[in-house]
Amino acid sequence: MLKSSAARKFDETTSATEIRRPGFGGGDRPPPVQPNAPVLNNAHLAVLMLLGAEVMFFAGLIGAFLVFRLSASVWPPPFQPRLPTGVTGVNTAILLASAVTMHLSVRNARAGAIAALVRQLTMTALLGAVFLVVQGYEWVRLIHFGLTASSSVYGGMFYALIGAHGAHVFGGLIWLFVVWIQARRRRFSKSGYAGVQTAAMYWTFVVALWPVLYGLVYLY
Amino acid sequence: MKTKILPFVGVFLAAMPDIARACSVCFADSDDAVSQAFNWSIAFLMAAPYAVVGSIGGSLFYFYRRAAVKRERAKDAAKPVIELSWHQEENGR
Repeated sequence: MLKSSAARKFDETTSATEIRRPGFGGGDRPPPVQPNAPVLNNAHLAVLMLLGAEVMFFAGLIGAFLVFRLSASVWPPPFQPRLPTGVTGVNTAILLASAVTMHLSVRNARAGAIAALVRQLTMTALLGAVFLVVQGYEWVRLIHFGLTASSSVYGGMFYALIGAHGAHVFGGLIWLFVVWIQARRRRFSKSGYAGVQTAAMYWTFVVALWPVLYGLVYLY
Repeated sequence: MKTKILPFVGVFLAAMPDIARACSVCFADSDDAVSQAFNWSIAFLMAAPYAVVGSIGGSLFYFYRRAAVKRERAKDAAKPVIELSWHQEENGR
């Protein structure tokens, strides 16, 4: 056997029991690969900040309402039309039902059921639109009976608070419409449905705010 | 001289509670309905930022803890069943 063979020569300094890890030249096991994903989706964080600002906006309006409500010896003030608590109670139930359909749409998005997602988004938007239409009809009747923003502090605070909420519901309907179009174009999937989630966060805020306003303005 | 006068000024001011309590925007008695209404409204508005920041901070903490638990579970799931190693003696070369 020729000594100058091409056979690989052993490195006799390496013991038989020493483990050689390929590719790293020895040493400890490399650390596991960690996904570089943020703890919270950026879109969720942004909507959380938006909702914080909206809560402070409504807190200011509610604070102003509390000053007038608590300082008045008689409320509602005399010679003012009475608010339609019954019809608005039914309207409250309609808006709460829209929160249920919104939650179902998020569940469908998580499961990847796009057709069901579109259906639930449609129901949510329809219920929200019905709420706005009924509110608008009641407003027209109240104006006809003499309750306007300039008729009294009662009227001014009513239209400021309820009108601000109505504007937010209208904005939420526009948001839902955009999400609905994206859902129909199959932009959402099991792994990516942040658009549906953020819309649901905003809609849940708008719906959860309404019973507070209904209780304060209509019932208290 | 000033250090001798200042305590007397302080005692003089403390002895005149009506002047010391004067508020430039007070317009009613403290037990008036309007004042009570303002107090409640101010208390509500003071509590609101704490509620908002506390809710957002609590949500972030909750999501962070949930992500940490998910990471731990993924790490445990990624552990190999059999540790592969390469021995020179095993490869037959």
